[in-house]
Amino acid sequence: MNVLELKNISKRYGAIQALDNVSLAIAPGEVVGLMGDNGAGKSTLVKVIAGNFAPTSGDILVSDQKVAFHKPLDAQKAGIEVVYQDLAICNNLSAASNVFLGREPTRRIGPIKVVDYAFMRSKSAELFARLKSETRPRDLVHKMSGGQRQAVAIARTLLSDAKIVLMDEPTAAISVRQVAEVLNLIRQLSDHGISVVLISHRMPDVFEVADKVVVLRRGELVADKKASDSSPEEITGLITGAIEHA
Amino acid sequence: MQKKDIGLGILIIVVGAIVYMRNPLFLSPINLGNTANLIGLFGLFAIGQGFVIMTGGIDLSVGSVIALLGVLFVDMVGKFGVPWPLAMAIIIGLGVLIGLAHGILITRFRLQPFVVTLCGLLIYRGIARGYTAESTAGFPFGSSYPQLEWLTIGRSFGVPHSFLAMLIVAAVMWVVLHHTVFGRHLCAVGKNEEAARFSGINTRFVTVMAYVICAVLASIAAIYFAMFTKSVQPSSHGNFYELYAIAAAVLGGCSLRGGEGSVIGIVLGAVLLQELQNLVNLLGIPSSLNFAVMGAVILLGVLADQQFASYRTRKNTERALGLLQKP
Ligand SMILES: Nc1ncnc2c1ncn2[C@@H]1O[C@H](COP(=O)(O)OP(=O)(O)O)[C@@H](O)[C@H]1O
Ligand SMILES: [Mg+2]
Repeated sequence: MNVLELKNISKRYGAIQALDNVSLAIAPGEVVGLMGDNGAGKSTLVKVIAGNFAPTSGDILVSDQKVAFHKPLDAQKAGIEVVYQDLAICNNLSAASNVFLGREPTRRIGPIKVVDYAFMRSKSAELFARLKSETRPRDLVHKMSGGQRQAVAIARTLLSDAKIVLMDEPTAAISVRQVAEVLNLIRQLSDHGISVVLISHRMPDVFEVADKVVVLRRGELVADKKASDSSPEEITGLITGAIEHA
Repeated sequence: MQKKDIGLGILIIVVGAIVYMRNPLFLSPINLGNTANLIGLFGLFAIGQGFVIMTGGIDLSVGSVIALLGVLFVDMVGKFGVPWPLAMAIIIGLGVLIGLAHGILITRFRLQPFVVTLCGLLIYRGIARGYTAESTAGFPFGSSYPQLEWLTIGRSFGVPHSFLAMLIVAAVMWVVLHHTVFGRHLCAVGKNEEAARFSGINTRFVTVMAYVICAVLASIAAIYFAMFTKSVQPSSHGNFYELYAIAAAVLGGCSLRGGEGSVIGIVLGAVLLQELQNLVNLLGIPSSLNFAVMGAVILLGVLADQQFASYRTRKNTERALGLLQKP
């Protein structure tokens, strides 16, 4: 069974063919490294999967069922979570508030429903512990390191029982130590049976965690192979076009 | 309570102490009662403005809404004999409609809040002046509405009911902002609309509701102002009130970039503004300088806050660096 399957997905922006007949299957717990040059269509692919917009043509299957997403919430309900490049979180809220953003637990006091802060804090502390992250629930996100922010974004996905997590360049703007933290988080997700699609420009990161590497070039999928059967040199060739196909 | 609120509270006390030393009338029951009344009136709609500002928007139409709805309320009750509870319900209903119109134009038609509400400012003022043909709307001589007057301009134990109304509204809005899901979403939408949307929040609904809250509180304030002035001059009633509201919200720690603010802060902002008005009156400063004093204090307040914030950031960075250097 595949968690997610894409069949001949194409997406046009006016004259630009951002995705051209992309087909891809992802198994449970599989970590997929999605690579490609700037403008290759990686972010577009993530947005199609996440329900930000529909593909121009092609099918999306979740757990072998055909789906049509009209908005991000539809994709979320199907178990697809996205950790966006920079807009995963709201800086002015605490870590716990961010973990629960959009699905705040409430309790009743008489006729009114109030946010259950205590539950939010204890549950997110538990999630951070499960992710082996040192993030504290009460801390404001704008005071956190890049790695801790990723932990917040990823804790969200544990909360929602996600089947698949899409990460668009999570390691773009963070330090080496924090990169290690994020890669660790990805392994934790995979161990929980959650599939991860990792978009990154950093070859070593991808090879450290990915089971499978996929390469997009000008909207076309030119490689889909096991990381252990490939090499950074081969992938670089595929990205630049020095190697036509794999 | 946030640090900013405490700072503002201290500023209020210091300014109050200075005014009192120069003129002891400041703490006389009459002066306190009058000032509390004004704080209540202005605080009512400043809280609504704060909610809009927290979404990263602005509502420039508040003063005109107060004029138009004030005219209509006075006419309905005074001229057409509509029972006042019904007239109140109609006015608040109109407030809901105005807020919905603003919110929908901003979210569905993607117009900028500044533009939408600037047009509102012109349109509502224009309708008020056109409808009355520039004449003052007032209650007929000899008429009286004891219950309505008790509710709006009455006092209990010397405390004006407008002030109590503002406290009740503030308490309700405090719970809404800090303890309901809607309040959490409001802060999220204001800070990072995209992230909020991707988190599954109905960001349009949240934004529209902020404008509805603002217009409804303005409509309630319109009734209180109309009862306070007893007659409404359509071309000047409520002029610049949107700016008082924005000033109170900004003094109270709302960032015009959105996502930040507290109800306590806004109320304290309204208190400080009225205290400054009072200072101008009691210290014999020519009242023509009123706006200049207010503008200068807001500028200094915001500047000081900015300086404190960057000082704190510097300290934090130094501490973090210090930790790094230790092995
Ligand atoms: N909203 C958009 N409107 C028009 N063109 C777009 C839009 N988003 C992306 N594109 C174009 O689609 C192509 C793929 O972009 P993108 O998916 O962002 O690539 P990547 O994330 O791999 O760098 C680029 O040519 C880009 O200019
Ligand atoms: Mg991209």
